[in-house]
Amino acid sequence: MAEATPARYTRRRVLDLLLGASVVAWLASVFYPVVRYLKPLPLAGPSGPARLTRADTTKLERDGFAIVPVGRERVLVFEDPSGALRALDARCTHEGCTVRYVARDALIWCACHNGRFDLEGRVLAGPPPRPLVRHNVVREEDGSITVSVTRA
Amino acid sequence: MSDFRADQRLLKWLDERYGIAPLVEFLREKEVPVGGHPMVWYFLGGATLFFFTVQIMSGVMLLMYYQPGEQTAYESIRYIVTKVPFGWLVRSVHCWSAHLMITSLVIHMFSTMMLKSYRPPRELTWVTGFVLFSLTLGFGFSGYLLPWNELAFFATSVGTDSVKSLPLIGEWLLQVLRGGPDVTINTLYRFFALHVCVLPITLVGLVTVHLLLIQRQGMAPPIGEHQVARGIRFFPNFVLRDLLLWLTCLAALVTLALLLPFGPGIPGFDWELGQKADPLAPAYPGIKPEWYFLWIYQLLKEFPPHLFGLEGPQLCLLVVTGLMATWALIPWLDRHARHNEPSPAFSDFGVGAIFFLLFLMLKAWDIGGNAQNSPDGLPDPAAVARTCAWILIPVAAATTMLRVAVFRHRWFVLSGAEVLHVALHGLGGVSYLAAGAIAAALAAFVIGITLLRADGIRPGEGGRR
Repeated sequence: MAEATPARYTRRRVLDLLLGASVVAWLASVFYPVVRYLKPLPLAGPSGPARLTRADTTKLERDGFAIVPVGRERVLVFEDPSGALRALDARCTHEGCTVRYVARDALIWCACHNGRFDLEGRVLAGPPPRPLVRHNVVREEDGSITVSVTRA
Repeated sequence: MSDFRADQRLLKWLDERYGIAPLVEFLREKEVPVGGHPMVWYFLGGATLFFFTVQIMSGVMLLMYYQPGEQTAYESIRYIVTKVPFGWLVRSVHCWSAHLMITSLVIHMFSTMMLKSYRPPRELTWVTGFVLFSLTLGFGFSGYLLPWNELAFFATSVGTDSVKSLPLIGEWLLQVLRGGPDVTINTLYRFFALHVCVLPITLVGLVTVHLLLIQRQGMAPPIGEHQVARGIRFFPNFVLRDLLLWLTCLAALVTLALLLPFGPGIPGFDWELGQKADPLAPAYPGIKPEWYFLWIYQLLKEFPPHLFGLEGPQLCLLVVTGLMATWALIPWLDRHARHNEPSPAFSDFGVGAIFFLLFLMLKAWDIGGNAQNSPDGLPDPAAVARTCAWILIPVAAATTMLRVAVFRHRWFVLSGAEVLHVALHGLGGVSYLAAGAIAAALAAFVIGITLLRADGIRPGEGGRR
């Protein structure tokens, strides 16, 4: 090993190293802005409780469920067989399709890959790996409905 | 005769300036070998290229009216289809040609695989072909978001959602693809840029490389031979045949586009505009991706929520990536073909792959599920598996008989394992993955024994190997 040491730091080798490093630095200075540019900014906007619009309430009465935006989340609001309001995350934990409430079988169903959840959001059958997150829903005294998301 | 002289004069004029005489000479001399393989396999790449050309032309025409945007994307496609003179035809040609391009590309890929044309020195031609195939799937995927209808919205939600399981870059890539955490109109802008700009440029560049490689090396002779004795002139004999095929393709394309402007109506093979995308609507029953993604769609359904400490979709993505990587690396895996020897195992691998994909596709269509009569209105998975197995097994039997009688094949371990997989799952009621594991273990056992025997290990020598 000792004989090899002098040959290690030839002028050519040092110049090659410097050249290589400057190429890497140059590439980084080109790609860093591109990578930053491609990633979108986080969305700003209200994330507090949302009140159901008249259209949402109509949907809720007509179909038994409505999907409402609360901040960045999509929330499934439905009336269970006992008449109580419930709210679950509307995004299937499998591949992110939007689920629906099937009143006849009292379950939550995702049409994309046939995932099924109970009314608490627990997986009953199919491929979803996690339960749906439960959110809070309140019927106010004036009859309006407010949904607020719980952070998982 | 004056035309002829004008022709000659033009050539001379060009030759004086650019020295094109060698190129003309080269085209005169170029030959295509015949007699080695059936000629039909030589034309599929050309047919794919033809459909790609149609895609560019019809795509540019669609661009004249299409406007990406929340309030305009769906509306402009509806305008094209309902108001613009022959707009329905242009969209129909674009959709049909897309499906036909992928069809001819898949046949081209499988024929190359079966003829072992990927073997040295043509490994890079196979790899560029594989990348072209992936880009084409990317074209299909990015294209069907553009109408901004319900199918588009959910197909893109599912398709992009799966990238989040990638280690390290998953979350970043998801955001980059979607232009935000969810599929929104920002996703459409990004897919629009990919579909009409990034992918076409990349594809044209790579097709050029693919063609240059083929031009440089010529057609692969059949395995075991080094040269094919006979050839036909590339120009005009082969080119005229190619033109005739393109004319036939065009006639078929236009006939289909005229008679079935919204596709044949098979799930995954129709392009009715349907409802506008609504992020607040639930996914509708019976939603399916395009036919060439059906196998991944079905595989996603077959994985349980958790397996081996991973979530089902993650493991599924891992399996699909593994299968695709194996496919891309075939030229290096097939050691017999590398030495220009027959490689029956890889022929059988190709057939097994077709059975595997076909069975998943049949299942994805819910054939035999009898959804109308079931209590919850959903197809019965066991009945679907049984019916699909009853379709696939006779098909496999017929294919095997054909292989024995016509192609003199004698090696059926992998395709046999796939048929066993199908039978165990469809007829025996074993779960898809468990049946697959049993079949794979058996195949591995048989291959292991065959390899040991082929290596000629004598008793007493085994320990040293």
